[in-house]
Amino acid sequence: MDKPVGDIGMEREENVTSLALLASFLRLGASSFGGGMAGWTHREIVERRGWLTDDEFLKTLTVAQIMPGANPVNLAVYIGLKLRGVTGACLALFGMVLPAFAVILAMSVTYQQLKSHPEAQAVLRGLACVGIASSLTMGIKTARRLKGHALPILMAVAVFLMVGVMRWSLVAVVAGAIPVSAAATFWIEREKSRG
Amino acid sequence: MGDDKLLNLILLCIPLSLVSFGGGQTIVASLQHQTVDILHLLSGPQFTDLYAISRAAPGPGTLIVALIGWEVSGLWGAVLATLAIFIPSSILLCILGSYWQRHRHSAWALAAEKALAPVAVGLIFAGVFAVGQSARFTPLELATSLGAIAVLLTTKTGPYPLLGVVGVSYFLLSLAGMA
Repeated sequence: MDKPVGDIGMEREENVTSLALLASFLRLGASSFGGGMAGWTHREIVERRGWLTDDEFLKTLTVAQIMPGANPVNLAVYIGLKLRGVTGACLALFGMVLPAFAVILAMSVTYQQLKSHPEAQAVLRGLACVGIASSLTMGIKTARRLKGHALPILMAVAVFLMVGVMRWSLVAVVAGAIPVSAAATFWIEREKSRG
Repeated sequence: MGDDKLLNLILLCIPLSLVSFGGGQTIVASLQHQTVDILHLLSGPQFTDLYAISRAAPGPGTLIVALIGWEVSGLWGAVLATLAIFIPSSILLCILGSYWQRHRHSAWALAAEKALAPVAVGLIFAGVFAVGQSARFTPLELATSLGAIAVLLTTKTGPYPLLGVVGVSYFLLSLAGMA
């Protein structure tokens, strides 16, 4: 039977049981150590299960990255929604978050037990250093995508100053900054296409 | 009192969920500022500890809110804070996702996609600034951070091997009474 490309398939619903969906995302959630989640999800959903085509997966990935929320979780929720409706979205969210949630709670309990020991404090300080370093690196790598255009850089600096230094409400700043940034990008793109 | 604190945390998480573009790193600045300075749910060093744990843990960095919830009111705090950070963005995704997918080739949709990057960059640096400020690093810790940045930028090493090496080193330094 021919299936329309680009219309991610509700028609496949019958092939995907809730249990299989939950199992897949629990498996993915449990392997979410250290990123590369889009690749893992592709392997499970496209290659192993055959629930989505490559093309469908890519479209889903784009939406997951653009919308607010952690990208791997968004990807799971959106795939769940496409395959099994709202139930699928809930199962995917649950499966994706539960393993990491359990691990982080175990770490939290361990932290409560050990935090009075000076050695544990020292280790945590060390981990904080690497944590900050990896956040900063992520910021630098994302900043490279601005490719030296003046307006986007100005925008990033303004957001940094407002949220980081002046400590204005992050939600309000983002709500204001996105339309301005979109208008600026729109204008830049139009100027570019005019040559 | 515990319930008030939990309610405040949930009311903080819901709007942040809707602006957490790219995940946890973009909302750290606000989490730090609100939980430490405004709501007084945590002390500065406590926040730095939780930040360190969340960066070393698997899964999305957003799960730092589960740690904060746990500190504020135990298991329920962790569960409710986690729901508050994931459910609003998921609902928005379910409502707007297919709309976005249909219109993603329009000029405005393309502009909006590119427009997120500068905002995210500003927010990530704001988060680093907020945590860095409240952590009050010693010279040794500052050197460790700079070294880690250099390794992450210039090699293909991921953060996990570094976390292992630095964690063990700090443990040994502490045993030796040097950190």
